Amino acid sequence: MRPEHWLYTIPLRLRSLFRWAQADQGLDDELRDHLERKTEEYVAQGMTQEEAHRRARLDLDGIEQTKEKCRDARRLNWIHDLIQDLHYGVRMLRKSPGFTTIAVLTLALGIGANTAIFSLIHAVMLRMLPVPQAEQLVLLSWVAPGHPYMIHSLSGNFDRDKTGNFTSTSFSYPIFQAIHDRNLAFSGVLAFAEADTDRLNVSVGGLSELAQGQLVSGDSFSTLGIHAAIGRTILPSDDKEGASPVAVASYSYWVRRFGRDPLAVGKEITVNGVPFTLVGVAAPDFFGVQAGTSMDVWIPLRTQPQIDPGWTAYANPGEVSRFTARDDWWVSIIGRLKPSASPQQARAALDVIVQQNSAGIEPPPTRRSPDIAVGPPEVELTPAGGGLDALRREFSQPLFVLMFIVGLVLLIACGNIANLLLARAGSRQKEIAVRLALGAARQRLIRQLLTESVLLALSGGAFGVILAYWATGVLLTFMSSGRTPVILHVSPNLGVLGFTAAVSVLTGILFGLAPALRCTRPDLTPALKEGGAKMSSGGLSRGPRLDPGNVLMVAQIAMSLILLVGAGLFVRTLRNLQSRNIGFDRRNLLLFGIDPTQVDYKSERLASFYEELRHRIESLPGVRSATLSRHTFINGGVTIAGVSIQGYTPKPGESNNNGSLNLHVNSVGAGFFETFGIPLFLGRTLNERDTAAAPKIGVVNSAFARKYLGASNPIGRRFGFGDQKASSDVVIVGVVGDALYGQLRDEALPTIYVPYMQNIQQLAGMTFEVRTEGAPSNSIAAVRQAVRGLDGNLPLFNIKTQTEEIQQASFQERLFSRLSSFFALLALALASVGLYGMTSYAVSRRTSEIGIRMALGARRVEILTLIVGQRLTFALIGVGAGIVGALGVTHLMSSLLYGVKANDPLTFTTVSLILTVLALVASYIPARQAMRVDPMIALRYE
Amino acid sequence: MLVSVTEDIEMSKPSDLVQGTLDMLLLKILALEPMNGFAVSQRLKQVSGDVLQVSDGSLYPSLHKLEQEGWITTARA
Repeated sequence: MRPEHWLYTIPLRLRSLFRWAQADQGLDDELRDHLERKTEEYVAQGMTQEEAHRRARLDLDGIEQTKEKCRDARRLNWIHDLIQDLHYGVRMLRKSPGFTTIAVLTLALGIGANTAIFSLIHAVMLRMLPVPQAEQLVLLSWVAPGHPYMIHSLSGNFDRDKTGNFTSTSFSYPIFQAIHDRNLAFSGVLAFAEADTDRLNVSVGGLSELAQGQLVSGDSFSTLGIHAAIGRTILPSDDKEGASPVAVASYSYWVRRFGRDPLAVGKEITVNGVPFTLVGVAAPDFFGVQAGTSMDVWIPLRTQPQIDPGWTAYANPGEVSRFTARDDWWVSIIGRLKPSASPQQARAALDVIVQQNSAGIEPPPTRRSPDIAVGPPEVELTPAGGGLDALRREFSQPLFVLMFIVGLVLLIACGNIANLLLARAGSRQKEIAVRLALGAARQRLIRQLLTESVLLALSGGAFGVILAYWATGVLLTFMSSGRTPVILHVSPNLGVLGFTAAVSVLTGILFGLAPALRCTRPDLTPALKEGGAKMSSGGLSRGPRLDPGNVLMVAQIAMSLILLVGAGLFVRTLRNLQSRNIGFDRRNLLLFGIDPTQVDYKSERLASFYEELRHRIESLPGVRSATLSRHTFINGGVTIAGVSIQGYTPKPGESNNNGSLNLHVNSVGAGFFETFGIPLFLGRTLNERDTAAAPKIGVVNSAFARKYLGASNPIGRRFGFGDQKASSDVVIVGVVGDALYGQLRDEALPTIYVPYMQNIQQLAGMTFEVRTEGAPSNSIAAVRQAVRGLDGNLPLFNIKTQTEEIQQASFQERLFSRLSSFFALLALALASVGLYGMTSYAVSRRTSEIGIRMALGARRVEILTLIVGQRLTFALIGVGAGIVGALGVTHLMSSLLYGVKANDPLTFTTVSLILTVLALVASYIPARQAMRVDPMIALRYE
Repeated sequence: MLVSVTEDIEMSKPSDLVQGTLDMLLLKILALEPMNGFAVSQRLKQVSGDVLQVSDGSLYPSLHKLEQEGWITTARA
């Protein structure tokens, strides 16, 4: 058909859609008219009135059929069918409100849970940064089989991947400059770095607060394509040596801190004590390049030495500028790939730049450990359009496990609805048989029944979306109580809604298909007979049959078992982790961090500040003791230093470039071990007399003594920071118990404790730990007062109790334990209800049969045993299948467990027993009720 | 749009009637003058000399299809 003609027919088609009733009436009139005339014609030919009428009707091939063919001739049939089906479906659902309510609620729970988890997955994994053409962005990283010799100082992300390779996203500034100037495969490239552990002391109008800050290169904003909402963004001219320091605030920070003041732009603020000018506010919705965090302030890279002088001195004692040093790797680089460039070309060119950067740096002497001299690393590019993937790495496994769990719950819910529908279809059997007999196409009926189920599922889905919205909020709050607080903006979006709709439709088809197929089977005669359907199915004598009801039961029990076993294992994992011996007393400990180096405290002034503060806090009422340390336990922060131990030769592969060992070091204050309750095994602990003037001492933990000091008395042994020449600098005066840094699953590593007063040059922000008499939160106000008494310009951060810190560390395990238990119990409830309903229904179908048997002399107990026995057989099959499935599933998640094996017999046995007993009870009760029926009534009941 | 239909219709059995032929015949008949379904069926019998046995049951659906696709229009008498 020519296009113009087709267009012309559209109004006709639409008219036939909307004026259906009218057109139908016209059709009816037309055919009746034809019938009359035909009849007249036959009468005129000599037939009788009835015969003529009959002949005419035969000629027309049956009025209804012809009408149907005419209707078929109108091409828009399927839409009309759909509308008809929907009308009918709504009517049918309204007729049985009880069924509809239960079904919709069950589905709302199942679909809602899936939607909630999916929207999290969407926000964490699938969302792109709010940046134009985010898919062009790539993040640079390098990988090497060992520690490359040309890197003397590394700050930023650092990891070991699964094959043991070292990988990091940090590069040297000269590398960035080379990439930037040569303009290879990138249309733009930007560099960024953490600004002093990304908490800046920002002072506005004399009020100091901490803010999340980031150092960025001059054309970061232009490369990303982010404009300013007010004022301007950072320009290349700001990122030059000697330029006056400027800052750009994020939109949310401007709202929060500056109260949307339009005059904020142009104001003078101080960052870490250095005067900056606020020159602009970034566009709303831009939060930085790291999904899950929200930057407050951006400042040029070149201001780094000014805001963080302490770090520069520590990392680069030779006073070489960080911007020319080729062995100081500290900036991360993101590039915007040109559409014409291939990643391979880009990588090859980048490898060359990295190699050129290493020219002139001496590899270490290879005599000691030949495998230490690792050459220049290879560069890799990863897509950065979704934001840096730290968030994804942390949450992708938990989210997928959760998705699997809620998927199973949904399947169990579907099983229940399918059961309900099967039962309902049984009662509609007659109606459907009549329709089939009247000539309805089987396909058409199936379509209509499926429309009903999909309608049910979509209603469930609609409620599920509302449920999901609330549930996502709860989940997000929970997620932000982890180690890294997660700030995600999850808003309803098309992707998630589309997912919900798709899941709803699939669910509807899934649970509606089997019942629809079953009850439209062309075995009409039994159905049309009075009460026939009940006789044609069932049959105690024939033994258990493989009908959909039984298959569903097996499947539901199997899935419930998997969920329960999973939940059981997760709960035990959490319990094991929480009761783990961490080496110190975690009760009533208040922690807070403070960083006077941001306001220019240094060396002796810093040390005396800390001591004074410690004394003041210790003398507060309600405080038993107070101490401070560079690192706290269980929060993942460590200092690793090169250490040489007198009398210990490192084994091959153990030491690094200069022959020293890489060991954990913590700078602590007096009373550290007493405050934490760490036992002292030998010698003494640190005290106030270990000042800078006193001989350098250190305390080590048992792991250190066991590994490096052998059988001799540890007290008096010496070690030092640096190579062997320094190995007699510090004397060991005590050995203490092991305590846990890092993750709860780790083992305690060899650790050295040194007095902070003897390491003043490397002092930075410290964390105070206060052991209180009562609840730690009661002392917060008093502590704040004490700090303000010393210096009003010093904000406290990270204020929490030690127990809260440990809670945060076990966040993932708590998430799994809680959610998996909740869903497993939900599944159990659903499955139990389903089992009970199914047995009720099955038994009711056999009522007349039971009546016959009892009339013939069977005892109640025998029949009971038969029925329950059959149900139990299927339940046991389900348990067996579930065990097999669960073994497979738990094996996959064994990396998430702690202290329990994936095939833990206790958990498996307990769960199997619970389910079997449940199945027993759920079958027994309805069976027993059926037994109570008088045989005479049962026989008469059809 | 309309192709001339020759008056010599092949003596084929009604079951061999090719799908579109009936549409053509109807269009040819209606091109001469508007008429109702009964009259069309009479005319068909006339034109084919009783050889073409088109049941009324297939006549009306074809008419409706032609109307849906815009080849003919209907009006209430």
